[in-house]
Amino acid sequence: MFLTRSEYDRGVNTFSPEGRLFQVEYAMEAIKLGSTTVGIRTPNGVVLAVEKRVHSPLLESSSIEKIMEIDVHLGCAMSGLTADARTMIDHARVTAQNHSFTYDEKIKVESVAQAVCDLALRFGESVHDEEAMMSRPFGVALLIAGIDELGPQLYHTDPSGTSIKYDAKAIGSGSEAAQSELQDKWHKQMTLQEAQILTLRVLKQVMEEKLDQHNVQVAQVTAEKGFEILDETSLKSVIELM
Amino acid sequence: MSIMDQNGGSVIAMVGKDCVAIASDLRLGNQALGVSSNFQKIFPVTDRIYLGLPGLATDVTTLKERFRFRVNMYTIKEEREIEPETFAHLVSSTLYEHRFGPYFCEPVMAGLSKTPSGGYKPFIAATDLIGCLNFAKDFVVAGTASEKLFGVAEGLWEPDLEPEDLFETISQTLMNAVDRDAYSGWGCVVHVLTKDKVITRTLKGRMD
Amino acid sequence: MQHVAVPHAQPQQRQFNPYSENGGTILAIAGANFSVIAGDTRQSEGYSIQTRYAPKVFRLTDKAVLATNGFAADGNMFVKKVRQRLEWYRHAHAKDMPLRAIARLIQTMLYARRFFPYYVYNILGGIEEDGSGAVYSFDPVGSYEREACRAAGAASSLVQPFLDNQIYFKNQTPAPGTTHPAHLPLSHVLSLVIDSFTSATERHIEVGDGLEIYVVLAKGSALQGLDAIQGLSELTTTDDGERMFVIRRNLKRD
Repeated sequence: MFLTRSEYDRGVNTFSPEGRLFQVEYAMEAIKLGSTTVGIRTPNGVVLAVEKRVHSPLLESSSIEKIMEIDVHLGCAMSGLTADARTMIDHARVTAQNHSFTYDEKIKVESVAQAVCDLALRFGESVHDEEAMMSRPFGVALLIAGIDELGPQLYHTDPSGTSIKYDAKAIGSGSEAAQSELQDKWHKQMTLQEAQILTLRVLKQVMEEKLDQHNVQVAQVTAEKGFEILDETSLKSVIELM
Repeated sequence: MSIMDQNGGSVIAMVGKDCVAIASDLRLGNQALGVSSNFQKIFPVTDRIYLGLPGLATDVTTLKERFRFRVNMYTIKEEREIEPETFAHLVSSTLYEHRFGPYFCEPVMAGLSKTPSGGYKPFIAATDLIGCLNFAKDFVVAGTASEKLFGVAEGLWEPDLEPEDLFETISQTLMNAVDRDAYSGWGCVVHVLTKDKVITRTLKGRMD
Repeated sequence: MQHVAVPHAQPQQRQFNPYSENGGTILAIAGANFSVIAGDTRQSEGYSIQTRYAPKVFRLTDKAVLATNGFAADGNMFVKKVRQRLEWYRHAHAKDMPLRAIARLIQTMLYARRFFPYYVYNILGGIEEDGSGAVYSFDPVGSYEREACRAAGAASSLVQPFLDNQIYFKNQTPAPGTTHPAHLPLSHVLSLVIDSFTSATERHIEVGDGLEIYVVLAKGSALQGLDAIQGLSELTTTDDGERMFVIRRNLKRD
């Protein structure tokens, strides 16, 4: 077993005879170990929700950051090796700022997703004799939520550098159960509040601990207020509505 | 920086139907610094001739006096008022006398000349600082805003304007031209000469 | 006669001047739902006319037109580079660049050459995302502003004060109880443009030969008498978007 796989799973830029890039596939596996993350698109905005695994009572849960702002109209939730996401979000932020500096307009959600994917594929790239800047694929997947001239949109990006648009998407350890639940419950005309409740219900189903305002984080992007992370009070009121 | 632009200021003259108009700004400056907003550059020579002298302020004053002297001598010797055409040549020859050390002024004249039939014919002329005469049929301009004056006048002027229309045309031309010139402005004065009267109006303008 | 070889002990200086000035004038006026961008076609160097037909006004997209004036070589290269960026943008973002984005792009492109500038004054005209007519004017290093009208180039000092008076109604007081219009009708604007260029041709040696007037009409707006204009040809490529026209006329050649 080990011998059949090895040799080809070493180099990040070497295909196996079956046409697979093992390192990329392993990176995808890393995401399945991550905490569950859910995103839902509605006509009024996009909702993102993540589970925060509080594995110690001594842990300050507010220090777990799994949803981040990219620009005023763009947000992002992650699952997998969250440290890798910092590099990607940094890149997304710079891309968004560069765009508004150069074009005096907000960057499109699709363009940001594409920019992140461009970065995701740069592993193993090297110039002349220099060392490659990134030695391995990113071990993280992102849900990018935003609003532009085409309305509210949700994109999923993974280590293979693929970005796909979704109405609702779950990633991370509980993603399989969560995704089928989303498929059951999602409908076109959801209100923003319905979407908030649905994300939490989906998370609740796949979480081991009892869901409360400390072990989940919810954010949304709306046309009116742009990207915002829900504070504990408003999160609590959504939990009460569940 | 040209010495012609030291003090700033602009003059324009236009022909109308049986009338002429001459107008100038009122600024006197020292380069970019504004000094006076009531510096007259247009002087009556006779009842029917007005002379505008934009350029170096010291030469404006000197030339004004010099022309007063020469016109007075002409009047005494000839025992008649000088005609606008004759005055234009007097201006020209006076300036050319200083061909190699000129007065830094570009005079503009407007007047009504007597016709053999006893009527009056509009007359305008301008010279450069060494006295090269330009008898235009429509309008003449000079000063730091001359390019702007050419542009606006070419767009607004039309033949056979009645005195009130000529006043409006020359005023609009001057005001809009000096508003785009840092060295001219600070108010304007307009004279319209008709056969029986001279209308003089002072215009308020932007003070920046 | 004896020739004595003089040793070149003195230091010598040589210089290359990368710029020249090719005359001509450009002008743009924005209406409520249209934009007019015009330029003469004479190209000169010193007292010599290099050509009587060198366009200075260029169509960029379905709704944007760029006029350049100054050093012709820089102007043409700049337009080429802007067009390249517009195509890249189309590929990256799957849409035509909006007018205000083009304006900002031009600023960044000009400022990128802050210490070896494109020796060009630019005026950008077209239709904004909200359907309004717009004019943006630039200096050679990218300072820019949206305005209702602007003249640039050799005869700008002749034309601009005339436009101040006729477009902005400067030094004019409206009749009691009335106000000056914020935008003029298209036919009136076209007359002013033609008058401006005939005036500039009359008094400036670097202006003349030909006149090209681009007209961009906002989506769904009427022709507003444009069809009656002589020398008109339509450049529109789509059925349901902005419409673009060019009017070609002669100016005096002396």
